[in-house]
Amino acid sequence: MELVVSAGIGVLVAAGLYLMLRPTSFSVVLGLTLLSYAVNALIFFAGRLNAESPPLAIGGANGIADPLPQALVLTAIVIGFGMTAYLVALALRTKGESKTDHVDGREEA
Amino acid sequence: MNHWPIIPILIPLAAAILLLVSHSWPMLWSRIVSFGAVLLLAAAVIFCLGLADSGEVLVYRLGNWPPPYGIVLVLDRLSALMLALTSALAIPVLLYAMAGTDAEGRHFHALFQFQIVGLNGAFLTGDIFNLFVFFEILLLASYTLLVHGGGVERVRAGLAYVVLNLAGSALFLIALGLIYGTLGTLNLADMALVLVQVPPADQALVRTAASLLLVVFALKAALLPVSLWLPQVYGAASAPIAALFAIMTKVGLYAILRVSTIAFDAAPFAANLLGLWLTALALLTMALGTMGLLAAQRLSIITANLILVSTGTLLVAFTAGNANATAAALYYLPHTTLVTGGLFLLAGRIASQRGALQDLAERGPQPRDILLTGGSYLVLAVAVAGAPPLSGFLGKLMLMQSLSNAGLAPVFWAFLLVTGFISALVLARTASVYFWEPERQAPAVSAGVVIQAGSMRTTALLLLTAASPLLMLAAAPLSQYARATAEQLHGRAPYISAVIGDPAAIQRERRP
Amino acid sequence: MAAALAVLLMLARSTFAGTVLIARQVWLPEWGLDLALRLDGLGFLFAALILGIGLLIVLYAAYYLPEEDRLGRFYALLLAFAASMLGIVLSENILLLLVFWEITSLTSFLLIAYKHEAHDARIAARMALAVTGGGGLVLLAGILLLGQVAGSFDLSDILAQGDRIRSDPLYPVILLLVLAGAFAKSAQFPLHFWLPIAMAAPTPVSAYLHSATMVKAGVFLLARLYPALAGTDLWFAVVGTTGAVTFVYGAYVALLKHDFKGLLAYSTISHLGLITLLFGLNTPMSAVAAVFHIINHAIFKASLFMAAGIIDHECGTRDMRRINGMFKYMPRTAVLGILAAGSMAGVPLLNGFLSKEMFFVEAVENRAFQGFAPLLLPAFATAAGVLSVAYSIRFVHDVFFNGEPVDLPRTPHEPPRWMRFPVEVLVGIVLLVGIMPQVSLGAILNVAAAATLQGELPDFKLAVWHGFNLPLVMSFAAIAGGMLYYIQRQRLFDLHDRYLPNLSSPVAFERIYAAMARGSARLLALVDRRSLQLHLTLFFVFALGFGFWAWQSAAPASLKGSLAAMPVDPWGAMGLAALVVGAAGTVAYHRQRLTAIIFMSVVGLIVSLTFVRFGAPDLALTQLSVEVVTIVLLLLVLRFLPGEAPAELSAARKSRNAILALLGGAGAASLTYAMLTRPFETISGYHIANSLPQGGGTNVVNVILVDFRGFDTLGEIAVLAMAALGLHAVLQGLRLEPYAGAATSEADRHPVMLAMLMRPLLPLALAVSVYIFLRGHNLPGGGFVAGLITAVAMTLQYVAGGIDFAMSRFKFDCVRILGAGLFIATGTGLASWLFGAPFLSSTFSYIEPPFIEKFEIASAMAFDLGVYLVVVACVLLALIELGGLSRRELSPMQSGPTERKS
Repeated sequence: MELVVSAGIGVLVAAGLYLMLRPTSFSVVLGLTLLSYAVNALIFFAGRLNAESPPLAIGGANGIADPLPQALVLTAIVIGFGMTAYLVALALRTKGESKTDHVDGREEA
Repeated sequence: MNHWPIIPILIPLAAAILLLVSHSWPMLWSRIVSFGAVLLLAAAVIFCLGLADSGEVLVYRLGNWPPPYGIVLVLDRLSALMLALTSALAIPVLLYAMAGTDAEGRHFHALFQFQIVGLNGAFLTGDIFNLFVFFEILLLASYTLLVHGGGVERVRAGLAYVVLNLAGSALFLIALGLIYGTLGTLNLADMALVLVQVPPADQALVRTAASLLLVVFALKAALLPVSLWLPQVYGAASAPIAALFAIMTKVGLYAILRVSTIAFDAAPFAANLLGLWLTALALLTMALGTMGLLAAQRLSIITANLILVSTGTLLVAFTAGNANATAAALYYLPHTTLVTGGLFLLAGRIASQRGALQDLAERGPQPRDILLTGGSYLVLAVAVAGAPPLSGFLGKLMLMQSLSNAGLAPVFWAFLLVTGFISALVLARTASVYFWEPERQAPAVSAGVVIQAGSMRTTALLLLTAASPLLMLAAAPLSQYARATAEQLHGRAPYISAVIGDPAAIQRERRP
Repeated sequence: MAAALAVLLMLARSTFAGTVLIARQVWLPEWGLDLALRLDGLGFLFAALILGIGLLIVLYAAYYLPEEDRLGRFYALLLAFAASMLGIVLSENILLLLVFWEITSLTSFLLIAYKHEAHDARIAARMALAVTGGGGLVLLAGILLLGQVAGSFDLSDILAQGDRIRSDPLYPVILLLVLAGAFAKSAQFPLHFWLPIAMAAPTPVSAYLHSATMVKAGVFLLARLYPALAGTDLWFAVVGTTGAVTFVYGAYVALLKHDFKGLLAYSTISHLGLITLLFGLNTPMSAVAAVFHIINHAIFKASLFMAAGIIDHECGTRDMRRINGMFKYMPRTAVLGILAAGSMAGVPLLNGFLSKEMFFVEAVENRAFQGFAPLLLPAFATAAGVLSVAYSIRFVHDVFFNGEPVDLPRTPHEPPRWMRFPVEVLVGIVLLVGIMPQVSLGAILNVAAAATLQGELPDFKLAVWHGFNLPLVMSFAAIAGGMLYYIQRQRLFDLHDRYLPNLSSPVAFERIYAAMARGSARLLALVDRRSLQLHLTLFFVFALGFGFWAWQSAAPASLKGSLAAMPVDPWGAMGLAALVVGAAGTVAYHRQRLTAIIFMSVVGLIVSLTFVRFGAPDLALTQLSVEVVTIVLLLLVLRFLPGEAPAELSAARKSRNAILALLGGAGAASLTYAMLTRPFETISGYHIANSLPQGGGTNVVNVILVDFRGFDTLGEIAVLAMAALGLHAVLQGLRLEPYAGAATSEADRHPVMLAMLMRPLLPLALAVSVYIFLRGHNLPGGGFVAGLITAVAMTLQYVAGGIDFAMSRFKFDCVRILGAGLFIATGTGLASWLFGAPFLSSTFSYIEPPFIEKFEIASAMAFDLGVYLVVVACVLLALIELGGLSRRELSPMQSGPTERKS
């Protein structure tokens, strides 16, 4: 299972990086989103895989998940959302100012 | 209950909230709130500086949870120094911006206050994830402040800056995930305690995580090869924002220094992690900055490259890993921050008087107020080139002496001297063009585009111009403070024992 | 300045008694820099020269400079220069000496550029700064090393440790660094070229800085450090050779100059070379001669410059081919000039003769070359003497005699009385010293030379007549030879015009500078194409490289840790497969944007399901709601972007990116795998154990968010608020055209069916979010999720009803709500201060038992309410702003809501 999870994260990172290196801002947004999925999963799995139940302190539950990484991921998700929204707005502004969607402001790389 | 460590975060936060709630009120109100907050902050920070100078490490447990379970703020000499520097830069920058820059777009003052929240929080926090959060705060504020006022060049630079930093944030999180996944803690002091017990089989993983963290900080500090973004971004920002950004690279350097000395250096396998590589890159950053200086056509770009040079210089000292070099660097750091900030303001002032030429170093209208502009130019240039007798020279003197026993000493000396030499040449040439070349056209032609420089801008410029002479006059107490700071940092134990009272009492649970 | 001179004279008594006065003010003791001053014989001599000549220069300049000039600035700079020059000669601390040294370079820079309208003056100033300032930097390195070897930066200590310094392995390095600095300042070959150009400065500056004082700083340093550094073969070789070459070279070129200031400049270079040569000879007597010549040269050269300045001032040109026969127009000035020039040539009964004679004696008696060529040095000395005489004659003959002036801008006449006065004083001294050396200068030369040598003085006596000996023969031979040489000068000029390229150093300087700038720019352009992709690529490569390096340089470890692998369940395998499809689809279809978004949402869904599978329902909820909102935002943006982007990258770039991406993915996967297969110890057991008893909630994740790490959450909603603010600021006044193919009619975009369906959903969704909000502390949920659900509901309203409908429903000032949310959250944190607890403490333990539950819940809820408000306001603001774009786009005449608000 560790291999499956690692492979999943690896695939997301690879796809994210590839898209980020594309020259249009829309691809960059897609890439960053994929990358942040991967990152969130990585932090989440820092609590390891053997968790069976949610971290509810109801007592006596065995194999409850590590709550700390979950809290970190929640923070990261929300920050990531804010960033995405902002990036989209900035990309629009850039487009409005320079009349191109290219991240460096030119149509050809 | 001593609440002082959180005050430097709460003052700008409260101001930001107030500004949000009253965002539809007139600009004058925003200015009063914003500037009042910065002044109040400065007073509070001076008090914090006094507290820290007693040598005690003040720990503030947020939510009253014992470390390492909750988040702590730590006020030690280094944090107090950085807080003071932030305030010292913020006051003139805000003063300059209030002369009109702030009205060029929305929410300037709220974002400015948030920026200070982020900076102060990053300097105070003792928790590595909380550091990430404050990094995000200061970055987000900086994104919008950078594009404040708009314009193709600025917005485009802004987009590149944002994307690059978002990639940096992702890597930051990866490093944090790995660090938590191996050390099981997020508290900096606790990390130091756990690091020494990492079994050999796990050391490679921890080292990798730590190095990724350093890469992120290097991006913020603009170390080669991730330094190329800086000149175009800083050159595109408006003058007061560029001046404020003078401290942004220092946050990255601060983080490298803090995390290395308190945590990573505790364990031999993680100490001096990137070693010579980092030193070599720092030297190359200096070289690149120097080339950028020569190639630059504008004072703002020259200044941006001077920031690169200072990043390299400081990092060489930090990677030397001895208290002496750190002490020297900690004297040099406020100097370079304030002086480059001043140069950005000056570039703005010159640009505003030269019409379409802006601050391009080509023959054009001479600045009207030549005594003031030329005088500040002289002081700032002498300071930044490291010429006697101002603070730049003293800092250089300290750095050269403190690193004279290192293996790379001759190389570093040569780099430092050559860089200073070239900065002097470049700045002399630029000055010659700005102030000495006769105007091409009659002044009347250009008079239409001359913006009358307000007295607030003048005051702001003068404040930052005065920084270097003041740092020179106060060199003895400052260098003593810097030395005490360096010893406190490299001593490590005072910090750790202040945060973690009893290491044996920490409950750790094995997973899985 | 007169006052300073008076003070100096008051201190004279102690100096002549041989005591060394030291005054010290601590500055930076730990770094060796103190404000320590010392007054000994050498310092006294120089201080007297600086102040005495300075006083005369000030007087002279008042007449020389036109009144409309900014004299205030000139005098300020001149006085600053004099002060720093005094600093050099009176420093006890050698770092302090360097401080003053560089200040003189700086003031010289500013003074040379005094007439900055002239192109030459600007370049000359920069050149002088480059050479002398750069030399100062080299000197700094030398001084730092010297201080380290000597263990002190105090001259008293350093001078006492000559033997130790000379035997140190670093000695050659120190010597060369110090000498480079000194030679640059004193214009020694090959660093001499800045000095003639610096004559672009006003004549008082040339006389004072570039002849009498500043250029003497270099030879002063030789004298100052003589006891510490001199006496070795290396010293002899370097100092002696440099001095000799400069001596002859300067004298040779001086004759060729048509500009008399140029002639004097090269003559200065030559005399500085002579002084250097004398120091280089390594004998006590030659050092005495050097000091003596420093005095003499300063006096006669200053007077010559001032005389030259008068002529320049009166004639309006400095070309000796035009200025002739001045004797007729200004006889008094001419007499003064002739006397001073005679001293320069070494004519008996003038002071220059005496020190030149001492040099000849040294040349004859020096043993260094005795072995193979006993006459080498005397012959050399005589030859150099010939050249000196020749250019002196040229100056006198061309300027004062040689027929009538040619085409002068003005008619020359005698200058004002007080303009000539300084020259008269100095020429008077020339004569006085020349006739009665022992009486006039014996005492001061004694103490100065003693201070230079820091030991026994050789036995010597200053006298005009030493009897008929070889040196006297040499003197006369030189005078005779010089005359002969001068007569033949025209041939020399022709030779030069024919064979030597006329490349002036300012042009070369500018060319070198421009080449450096161009080279840097080109090199930078190679490195940095100002492309975001490049910056990102470098960042990824950097991270990969350092990460890999950090791993492989650690204690060897295998990727797989000690934990046994968990079995793969079918859901996991299927999830991975779906993930691969989703990610690959996003990449493959990233140009067809709608398709890409759909693929991307598949990935998001899988990630959410993964969270559920591994015990994180909170995350799954949040992820899903964020997903919905993000997708709506992206869909909004799509309308303003072209439906299909052109293929922009070359195949090579693509494959390079692909390799990098695969490496990154492999790296991330490896690290994750390494982490997952290793056990670790975490502090989170504490959170689980204390969540209920101390945090009052059973949902540990929520308790961490609002309590254990509530500060993170506060920061995070601040980020969210800022993102909204930023978006609001960035979109201000933006107007965009939708691309062709985007839906344009209101009805198309907002199907009626969906609208009808969605409207009743809003109250329902709000009810759900209240429920989620309330239960958050104990079960999955909380402010975030509740806020997002509310936002999603509103989003759906937007999707269904369109912006006009949504905006008529949501009439909030979102920025204010953001502020209110932050206020509530921060206020909750601050409330704990009332109970004497740190920021963000839950009130839990501080209230009487019966109220625990109630108050505890209230505190957490208040904080969560702040979170809720910020989330809702952020999403709404984003929607309204992006919706505002579409409104503006649809009805361009009507101003959007965004403009109203600002």
